[in-house]
Amino acid sequence: MSQSLYEKYGGFATVSRIVMRLYDRILDDDDLGPFFDDIDMPKMIDHQTKFVASLMGGPASFTDAHLTGAHRGLAITDAHFDRLGVLVSDSLGEFGVAPEDADAILVQIEARRPMIVKAPAA
Amino acid sequence: MIEAINEQLLRAIGVGVALVDIGNGSLRFANDTFVEWFDRPDDPASPLALGTLDLRAALDKLDRDGRHTVELTFKLGRRTMTVAIEFNKALERENLAVLVCQNISRIKELESMIDSYAMMVERNTLEIRREKEQVEKLLLNLMPRTAYEEFKSFGVVEPRLFEDVSVLSADFEGFGEMLTAHDPALIVSELNDIFTAFDRIGEQFGCERIRTMGDSYFAVAGVPDPVSDHAAAIAGTAERFLRYIERRNENRTLPWRIRIGVASGPVIGSVVGVQRYVYDVFGPAVSAASYMRQAAGAMSIRADGMTSGLIDEGAAPGGGGS
Repeated sequence: MSQSLYEKYGGFATVSRIVMRLYDRILDDDDLGPFFDDIDMPKMIDHQTKFVASLMGGPASFTDAHLTGAHRGLAITDAHFDRLGVLVSDSLGEFGVAPEDADAILVQIEARRPMIVKAPAA
Repeated sequence: MIEAINEQLLRAIGVGVALVDIGNGSLRFANDTFVEWFDRPDDPASPLALGTLDLRAALDKLDRDGRHTVELTFKLGRRTMTVAIEFNKALERENLAVLVCQNISRIKELESMIDSYAMMVERNTLEIRREKEQVEKLLLNLMPRTAYEEFKSFGVVEPRLFEDVSVLSADFEGFGEMLTAHDPALIVSELNDIFTAFDRIGEQFGCERIRTMGDSYFAVAGVPDPVSDHAAAIAGTAERFLRYIERRNENRTLPWRIRIGVASGPVIGSVVGVQRYVYDVFGPAVSAASYMRQAAGAMSIRADGMTSGLIDEGAAPGGGGS
């Protein structure tokens, strides 16, 4: 069985750091931050832990239906989604994830665009 | 001079520090970090407000018990902050409380993450256990439990001789023609029904199905667990098979014509194959049962001499092989 990126980069020890950094970046981001104004911290952490772990092939069960449900009713545009890609990419790079592996993860994120983006780009 | 340096240091550190009047709860001093987290009251004489914390109760507790610590969670912008506030009395000024506030938000965030991760792992563990049970169930379909236990512990199943065994071999006359004359999917579905029924019948008699191959069905009594009346068990099974097919044929347009051979004697049981495990039995009784089946007419059972003899020995008057 081939090794997942989750295993390759040291499992939860590394993923937890990536998640924390992504959490900080998203909250501090002028475009994405406002979406989380009224979201409880544990809920957001839980969501992002599962999101990053599932992208990297970790022990997450984050179904497409779950992802669609979690973003229902939010006016997320393509620009917002692109910005998420940048923040994820930066966070991965910071913890030594190789560019080709980061690209593979971004492809995974891209595949989820239709479940998250609801409004057309402004 | 030193006091000025101390105050500057106190202002700059990442720990929130404040001095509060125990009597009226007013703020006497707050460093930058404290002010960043909690608003300074407009009126310096009015009591300090610290989010949802009941400051009056906290100060009373301090006055009564000496130092104590509380945790306070609040929103700072969009970030959820958790601060541990330690209340102490000032050394030289009894009526003054020193509040030292440590930001423990990161610890809370990590706790949340560990909770989330633990739930993922628990769910995964459950799934793995379920899959393991599925695999075990599948392997138990391929071999008897005792062979499976041996296989699990040692990775192999040693060939074993079983002395007192009876073997049943059954197939259907004209099966090839049935397949060409009718929808093969229908035939296979009916065969599946029949073999499922055979499994259930065999189980009632303590027989174990060893294998099926095409339309042939092969079962034993006495492997791997001994069955004292194995010949009677296999004969009973054969009779019930025959009756089942007769009854089935009564109300269907497509008749099945079973041939059953039974034989008794020793067999060797073992798992064969490395990549594809199959538990199988070999020996004279196996060959004899096949031979008997081939010699049997449609809708009949044929037993070898050994089986008939054993049944006669064990049976009261009226018994006998067919």
